[in-house]
Amino acid sequence: MLTKEAQKTVLSDEAYKDLEEAVGPENVSREPGVLDGYAWQPMINDDPAKWVRRPVAVVLPASTEEVQAVVKACNEHGLKFKAFATGWGIYGAPTYDNVVQIDLRRMNNIVEIDDKNMYAVVQPYVSGAQLQAEAMKVGLNTHIIGAGPVCSPLSSATSGWGVGWDGISMGYSPRNVLGLEWVLPDGEVLRLGALGSEKGWFSGDGPGPSLRGLVRGSSGALGGLGVFTRGALKLYNWPGPPQVKIEGTLLDAKAEVPEHIRFHLCFFPDKKKLADATYKIGEAELGYLACKVSVSSFIYTFAPHLLQKITRTKELRRVLNEALRWTYVIMLVGNSEEEIEYQEATLEKILADYDGMSMEQMTAPAIGPMVFMNFFRVTAIPMVFRMGGLFCSFLPRNETWDTQIDFYEMGERVKKPYIEKGKILDDLNDNPFMVMYEYNTYAHAEIIFQYLARSKEQLASVEPMQIEAMIESVEMCQDQLSDCDARQRKIFSPLAGHYNRWQKRISEMFDAKRAADTGMYCDEEDYDYSKVSPELKAKLDRLMAERSWTEDGPPA
Amino acid sequence: MALKDYERDMEGCSRCSSCKWVPFNQIKSWRFAKNCPSICKYNFHAYSGSGRMIIGLSMLQGRSELNDEVTEIIFKCQMCGACDTACKVYRDDIDISEVLLELRAHCIEQGQLIVEHMAMIDALKREDNVLGEPKDKRGEWAEGLAVKDINTEQCDVIFHAGCRYSYDPDLRDTVRGQVQLLLKAGVDVGIAGKEESCCGGRAYELGYRGEAQNYAEDLLSRVKASGATTLVTPCADGYAHFRYLYPRMGVELPCEIMHVTQYMEKLLHEGKLRFKEEVPLLVTYHDPCHLGRMGEPFLTDWKEDKLQRPMSLKRSGRKGIFDAPRNIIRSIPGMELTEMERIREYSWCCGAGGGVLEAYPDFAAWTAQERIEEALATGAEALVTACPWCERVFNDAVAETGAAISVYDLNDLALKAAGLLEPVEA
Repeated sequence: MLTKEAQKTVLSDEAYKDLEEAVGPENVSREPGVLDGYAWQPMINDDPAKWVRRPVAVVLPASTEEVQAVVKACNEHGLKFKAFATGWGIYGAPTYDNVVQIDLRRMNNIVEIDDKNMYAVVQPYVSGAQLQAEAMKVGLNTHIIGAGPVCSPLSSATSGWGVGWDGISMGYSPRNVLGLEWVLPDGEVLRLGALGSEKGWFSGDGPGPSLRGLVRGSSGALGGLGVFTRGALKLYNWPGPPQVKIEGTLLDAKAEVPEHIRFHLCFFPDKKKLADATYKIGEAELGYLACKVSVSSFIYTFAPHLLQKITRTKELRRVLNEALRWTYVIMLVGNSEEEIEYQEATLEKILADYDGMSMEQMTAPAIGPMVFMNFFRVTAIPMVFRMGGLFCSFLPRNETWDTQIDFYEMGERVKKPYIEKGKILDDLNDNPFMVMYEYNTYAHAEIIFQYLARSKEQLASVEPMQIEAMIESVEMCQDQLSDCDARQRKIFSPLAGHYNRWQKRISEMFDAKRAADTGMYCDEEDYDYSKVSPELKAKLDRLMAERSWTEDGPPA
Repeated sequence: MALKDYERDMEGCSRCSSCKWVPFNQIKSWRFAKNCPSICKYNFHAYSGSGRMIIGLSMLQGRSELNDEVTEIIFKCQMCGACDTACKVYRDDIDISEVLLELRAHCIEQGQLIVEHMAMIDALKREDNVLGEPKDKRGEWAEGLAVKDINTEQCDVIFHAGCRYSYDPDLRDTVRGQVQLLLKAGVDVGIAGKEESCCGGRAYELGYRGEAQNYAEDLLSRVKASGATTLVTPCADGYAHFRYLYPRMGVELPCEIMHVTQYMEKLLHEGKLRFKEEVPLLVTYHDPCHLGRMGEPFLTDWKEDKLQRPMSLKRSGRKGIFDAPRNIIRSIPGMELTEMERIREYSWCCGAGGGVLEAYPDFAAWTAQERIEEALATGAEALVTACPWCERVFNDAVAETGAAISVYDLNDLALKAAGLLEPVEA
């Protein structure tokens, strides 16, 4: 007996025929089993069922022209469309019932690497690992986001966030865009940056239209503004070898760590000293990669069974929680022995000034060869599922490092009772992922929580915990991941200048027929507050009354 | 087992797509970064390890039905294990390969059959081999060899030739040479001749489990009767099935199981085999899936929460046979080995497995051609492998495209180095 989902009306034959003409019959499907491959998105999904709306069809275009033809067909038949690249996470998923999923998998070429001008032109399905491997051959490197090297650099640059451990030296994904080819929601093509004047890809801001701010806003339109089919992304210096010699795959990996690379795990006695020291590190322009992660995150990634034992050992838990709370990792990469010596000496001075200490890992024979690629290519990321099968985060907007540390503490306060009641997994309640951008001019934080992917009780905890963190965020004047969730957007927009009104106007301007799926861009929905306590709801109401913008401007 | 028994594996998929890629630490280029022939050829997510698990979950939950299109998706897969190995670099709690096997068995139970596979199974039932060749000709390859008949004599080593080596005329010299080499080294070796049967592994992979069980039990009785302490096979498929599927089915052969390359390496080590002839050739080695990652021994059927499964008990693919063939290559005077990018447990498949060669020959050829291109990129003069199925599709692909590379069975090169075959022309 098929469920209601399986019995839903399928795509009309006429629309299907037009899609076939757009991409070829072998590259379109409306088979329910195939479509469900696009309807299963457990990541950042607070629905315990983990299924999302099933698209009415999926298409596999191979060129910008084919993307245009698909988008025009959607406009003509009153369908919506949603594109994704590598397709991990709920962001790429349809949010309406009549959505054609555009899987950009066949647009997978590195069009060009210009080593002289330090950029690469890529299509959407080029992964971070592929681009890095090719860039290294010409002495360059690419920004790889925290979700790992499986993700699409073009997608994160154009459509959603773009946080990575290398942010200290390589910035935030949208900062690296040097030109875009953009299929608008009506099917027309717009070329941005120097490309808009047919002058190549060297500049994102012209000659030619820029529109980088409009394309991205703060966090990206998440597929709600069309499809980005090619982009030029800035590359960065890589003074190491064209290829790292490595045996093994991950935990068994033995990499030949290149010269002039050091990796320090730093410890500080308290929050203030960590914060002040990291500002100094930024001022000194130190660091190729840098982030704050906890000792617990190392343990649950590489030895989750060990963490289970530690959580049951009161004294050891206390040592890790208290003595090793204010940790920070930094990878230094030098162009020469002299430079790496200078960098290490500078780091040592900063550590000494702020009562910090560090352990150098790259030269540690047991660890260095294994962890080098983990950080350099962010390769261990899928291992974080080993603890329970899924994780999620409280994510605020990019802000100052100090503010993010406050957010980290708030997140741990929210998590604590859930851990104590067994509603999420015990990660020592110390599980931040925090990176800084561009030598600490701004920063990103995520407060991660781990849960059992197959436990109904733990799955049911995700949404109420997210609401609670959101209310606490409001109190801190911090906006939490509002661009993904239509419910959060409705709450945060009035608190931040009614920004979503502008997003809606942009959407209407480019998308007269409402063909793009804007569920994760500018649509709004009500939260179900029955999952939080009346006290928390009252707190939110009070904060909203006090802090919402009026028609005349900011609150008094 | 039934599909329902793997629901927790399927619902554990985070859809990270790691199953589509070479383990990230080992990605060396844009061109050879992907690991799964099926998703690379057909592109819809359903054609990946993750996608097939989601299809299984969808069917279990009544969201979609098993029909002809879904059946095709399930069978357009070489069962090469690359997705499983890649997933397990990161995860402990998902066994994609087991889910894929279960999906196929589910198809057969539901009467969703692939015509070409039915023909193969009919032939297997009739002639005891997957090629449909006459059973009474199975032992012809050994005519004239002074090798024992295990049907009437006891021996120390059983040599199980396998279906393709027994019947493929292009491979006959290879398999004869292997036995000659063993005999020359003084090994007390016997064969079953025309009584030898298919290992049954291919039937199992196609979802016909009853047939596979019968063949496993048949071989078990034959091994017991022979008194052999070792079973040596040149067939990579057979090797994997003896080592993994048989114990999984509850059949433990009472002897050591060795691939012929392992046995040859042992003979070299013991000084019973020496390579004296120069074979001046720059070669690259293709790891057959069933000798490599799928050749790992069966460890356990873990019934508890797989999140709690020790890493040592998960099928990582790392315990397959990777070094013995390479050591043989390195032992051959004049031979030089250059590696492709995708090797060992993250090797690209040849394309022949899982019933793809029989049902979807174009897909098999496309997959083989991808590997030929990777081999050409190394600059090697020859692509060497240690599996008759790989050798068959590679030879066909080279013949089809005229690629400037030779394909060799490693055994042939060893025979030449041992002076049992004509010298190789570079």
